[in-house]
Order: sequence, then C-alpha cells, then structure tokens
Amino acid sequence: MAARPKILIIEDDRRMSDALVSGIEAAGYDVNAAGTAEEGFFLLHQCHPDLLLLDLTLPQRNGLDILRQIRSEGTDVRVLILTSHNTVEDRVTGLRTGADDFLGKPFSFAELLARIDALLRRILQPPASTNLTIGDLTLETKTRTAARAGEPLELTAREFDLLLYLAENRDRTVSREMLAKDVWRETSRYTPIDNVIDVQIARLRKKIDDPYPIKLLQTVRGIGFSLREPQP
Amino acid sequence: MPSPLRLRTRLTVWYVSVLAVLLLLYAALVFAFQYAVLTRQMLHDEVQDIVTAEGLLYFDHHGILELQQNYYSRPQSHLLVDRLMEVLDLSGRVLYQSSNLHGMPLGGRLQDGEGQTGFNERIVRLQDGTHALIVSHIHAINGTTMVIRLGYSLVPLRERMLQFLILLLIAAPMALVVAGAAGQVIARRGLRPLEKMAAHAEGITASNLDDRLQIDNPNDELGQMARAFNHLLERLEQAFQQMRRFTADAAHELRTPLASIRTMSEVALEQSPSKLQYNDALANILEETARLNETIDGLLLLARAETSQPGLEQIDFPVRELVDEALSVLSVLTEEKQITIVQENDSPGNWIVRADRVLLRVAFMNVLHNAVKFSPRNSVLRISWTHRNGNVRIAFQDQGPGIAPEEREKVFERFFTGRTPATVSGTGAGLGLSIARLIVDRAGGHIWFEPVQSGARCVMEFPGGAPTFQT
Repeated sequence: MAARPKILIIEDDRRMSDALVSGIEAAGYDVNAAGTAEEGFFLLHQCHPDLLLLDLTLPQRNGLDILRQIRSEGTDVRVLILTSHNTVEDRVTGLRTGADDFLGKPFSFAELLARIDALLRRILQPPASTNLTIGDLTLETKTRTAARAGEPLELTAREFDLLLYLAENRDRTVSREMLAKDVWRETSRYTPIDNVIDVQIARLRKKIDDPYPIKLLQTVRGIGFSLREPQP
Repeated sequence: MPSPLRLRTRLTVWYVSVLAVLLLLYAALVFAFQYAVLTRQMLHDEVQDIVTAEGLLYFDHHGILELQQNYYSRPQSHLLVDRLMEVLDLSGRVLYQSSNLHGMPLGGRLQDGEGQTGFNERIVRLQDGTHALIVSHIHAINGTTMVIRLGYSLVPLRERMLQFLILLLIAAPMALVVAGAAGQVIARRGLRPLEKMAAHAEGITASNLDDRLQIDNPNDELGQMARAFNHLLERLEQAFQQMRRFTADAAHELRTPLASIRTMSEVALEQSPSKLQYNDALANILEETARLNETIDGLLLLARAETSQPGLEQIDFPVRELVDEALSVLSVLTEEKQITIVQENDSPGNWIVRADRVLLRVAFMNVLHNAVKFSPRNSVLRISWTHRNGNVRIAFQDQGPGIAPEEREKVFERFFTGRTPATVSGTGAGLGLSIARLIVDRAGGHIWFEPVQSGARCVMEFPGGAPTFQT
C-alpha cells in the first residue's frame, strides 16, 4: 500500500492553520504546517510534500514570491493557493505564476478536501472508472443512466449531473457553493440559486431515496449534502 | 499646458494685441490715403500751372525764352512759387530753366513723344538727390515747338508725411498703454465674483456639503457657473448621504449575523450541552457565516459593477438567450410552484443588447428569482418583449402581492426590506434589486416597477437592436 500523501501548509494565521491541520489529518493525510516563508522553505526541502497549501498574505514575504522561487528551483510539488484576495485577476495571476489551483477564503472545508483530492489524484491514481456504485445505487457515466436496486431511475440531465457529482465525491460532504460552481456552472457568487439547489436535491431525493428503505442522500446541516451508505 | 499668466492678464494681453493690430492697420490706411490725396492734389496743381505757364512764355528780342514776371500782382509773390520749370526744344536743347533749379536738369533727356498726349506725370531724381513730381507738355511759340516740364519738389510733402507718421507712432503706444490699464481694471472688476466664489468653494468640505455658492445674477455666465456648481454640490451631498446610510446599513447587516454567532457560541460554551446541541449550535453558526459571506459577496459585486469602466467587458449578445438561460436555472422552482411562464413577443426577433453578459445574467437572475419567489402556486409569470425606438423592453409581471406605491422606488435601495415580510426584496440581504439596478444602469438601460392592478410588474429597458448577421 502506498504511503499517505504528504501535505505542507504555509499559513500565518495560527487558528486557521491549526484547524486545517486537524481537519486534513483526519481525512487521512500527513500534514506539516509553517507560519513563515523561511520555515515553509525549510519544511519543503526537508519533507518533500506532494502538495503545498499556500496562503498569499504572509508576513515579510508575499506568497506569490514563494511560489515563483519554488517554480524556479524546479521543486516537484502541487500548489493550491488559499487567499481572501479572490478576484478573477488574482486567480489569473496565481495560476500564471505556477499554482495548480486557487481557492478563495472563506471556503467550505468540504471543497478544500475535494480540491486536495483532485490534485493528488492527478499524480497518485488513475482516473475513476466509468461505473460508480454506492450501496445498491449504480451510475453508468457513458450512457448517463442510473439505477437503484436494479430498477432504472428516470433522471433529468441536471439531476444526473448532480447525482454524478455527489457520487464522485461519495462519503464526503459537498457544499452548496461547490454545487453552484461545478454542477450549475455559476460564475458569479452572488446569484440566488441556493434554493434552486435545495429544491433540486429534494426532487432527486424523491426519485432515488423515497421509494427505498435505506437513504443514501443526506443533508449535513450547515455544510451541504453527502451521498453515502449509512453506517450500521 | 496651462498658461502661467493669470486669466485677467491674459484677457488684457489679448485685448491689447487685437487693439494694436487694428491701430496699425488704421494708421497704415490713413497714411496711404493721405499720401495719395496729396499727390493727386499736387498733380492737379501742376497741370493747371503748366497751362498758365504756357501763356506766360515769350521770346525776347534776343531770341531767348523768358517767363513773364508781371503776372504776379506783387513783386514778392513770385518768391512764394516754388515751381521747378524747364523748357526744351525738340532736339533736347534747354531753352529755359527756372532759377530754383540752380542749373540742374529736370528730367534729363527727352522721351519719345513726351508731352504729346497727356502730361507724362512721373517722379524724377534731381542731381542734389531730392525727388520731384513733374509733368510735361508740348507747346509751340512763334513756330518753335518745345517741351515744357514743370514740377514740384517732393521734399516738403515727404517731410509732412514723416511728421504724420511719427505722430501716429507716438500716439498708438500711448493709446495701447491706456487701453491695457483700463482692460486690467475692467477684467479685475468682472472677475471679482469668481474670486469670491473660489474662496467660498475652498471652504466647502465633506462636513458642510450643504453650503451653497451665492448667486447674484442667475442669468449671466458667472451665475450659470455658480448654479452648475451648486447642482454638483447637491449631487455630491446626496451621494455622500447615500454612502453614509449605506455604510451604516452594511455595518448593521454584517453585525446582525456576527451578533447571533457570538451569542450562540457563548451560550453553547456556558451550558456544556450534549453533542447533539453542540452540533446544532455549530450548524447555526455555519449558516450565519454563509449569510455574512453572501452579504460580502453582494457588496463586492456592487463595488465591481460600480467601479468597472462601462464598455470594458461589454459584448453584443442576444438578450433573449440570457433570459431563457436564467429561466432554465430557475425552472425547478417554477415547476415546483407550478408557475406557468408565458412569453409574449410583439415581433419575432432575437434582440441584440450590449452589456457585460456575466453581470446582466446576475440582474436577470435576481429579478426573475424575486418574481418566482413572490408568485403564488399555480400562477402565471408573464414576460413580454417589445422593441420601440431602438430600445428593447422586457416586462416581468407576476401575480404576487405586489409592491406598495410608496415602495416602488425604495425596493432598489441597498438593504431595503419591505415593511411586510411578504415583500422582502432580493435575496436575504436585500441587495438583489439594487445590484440589478446598478448593472442595468451600467448597460445604459433602466429598470423600474410599473404600477399595475395586481401583482408586480418589473420593467427593464436597454438600448438594443435587431440582430446583425456577420459572416
């Protein structure tokens, strides 16, 4: 079995850093944290992490400077930028400088985990197979069909996209922001679609869960939704 | 580059320059006219004189040509006559010469046909360097044909003209100096109200924006300027008030979720509750942070729409598509409430509008979401399209509770929430419609609520035209 992926966090806010460490560790990664750029570089060369979570507003040294140096040194590490400066221009600058992904603060922790997973999967695992199974729910991505307990489910295109996204992130919680961005493809953050999402989830639940005794689609209050087999 | 001179001085300099040019032109014209008149007069005298002289010429008994001197009524009168005269026979021999020529020839050799037709008036130079204006005439006495030349020296005329010129050259600068001084005084007096206004305007700051310039005469240029300035102050004052209110409202909107987060956390920590209660508190806190975040996103979007340069991200696109896109996103809600959407088009056309598409989509989403939210179950949402005078007009009419007449404008204010909970505008924070209005304004359009019998009718109007097909 492969070693657990290593993640380094460079973030000057102690509380944020502590919360990230404990949350990401709980998700099954090896985590180190640095509060300054120097400490970050030291740990970067010491531990050779697979992924770097980089805050852009650090004391003394700008996060983009650090990123530039990492890229010029040719260090092989994925970089995910975390910042509260999240305009389109900031994003473009970050990605041009060599970041692999960009997440604006405040983000939902579920989304951070999903991004981390996606970035590491690119190097650690082959792409997911065309079939997804959660309990007795199966999804066929090629034909875009779904079935529960062998019975085909009649889903609209949007419902299938939603279910597929939940299935790809199975056993994890998906936030409304993630759904708005990835399923509805809303580029603007101030678009009133939260209740569109809620109603769509309710309809999906009616089709995939209501007729069956075991409920797979769960609402996680305050965070979002999750598709998982309930623990006995 | 602005001129370093003061306006008053510049005005005076201009005025004096124009005056100087005019004076010079005037002097030159007067000078030329005077010269021409005097020369003509002299010529006229000479022609008369030459005819008189012809009658006075005679050969004495020695055969020498003489001029009768007894013509003068008094002996001293002939001293006053400064005529220059020379008589030549056709071979060029001098027959007579007036004494004041002192032996200098007058006009030199004979010209071909001199004096035969007309008087051959011309200016000649004498040996002493002076010039004379002379005329010639042919005459015969006792069978001898001769040419009489008669002229006056130009020296006195030129002296007089020179004096005249000197007088003009002295008088003109003096006139200019006087005019310049007067101009300065007049300009200063004319601009004095401006100085007063500037001093007054200096004293107006953000804290006394209600102060206004005093207008003495509303119809003159300065009065117009003061009026324009006062209008500017008025708009600024309104904007300032709006901003103050907005800041206060924003603080309030941000503080409300913060207060509940704080209270929930404090209560949870104090009570050592069960895991279930903890979970509940944390979930509530998360929901409040989502509300905070939404407000901040709304404020950022407003800031972006406000500061973005209009035209920078604007593209031409079919507006109908954008509305259909928004409707399809909201279709789950309309289906759920069984709202029928009826689109009415007065003429088939996919009108093209120029705007920031991403922002305009937000505006449509907000307006439509509002309409859907307030629509009762099983109702009709009517969207009508009209195109008139180069404007695309879209009206969204729902069958909801409607908007009170006095709130029709207020719903577009930031953080406005209606008195009745049923008419809370926009989403959560009450920014939805103000964002929509800002975006529509930026696209050069208008948005308003039209009075209707029942329900609410939101109208959006944009400059737009029929689609142009480009290959």
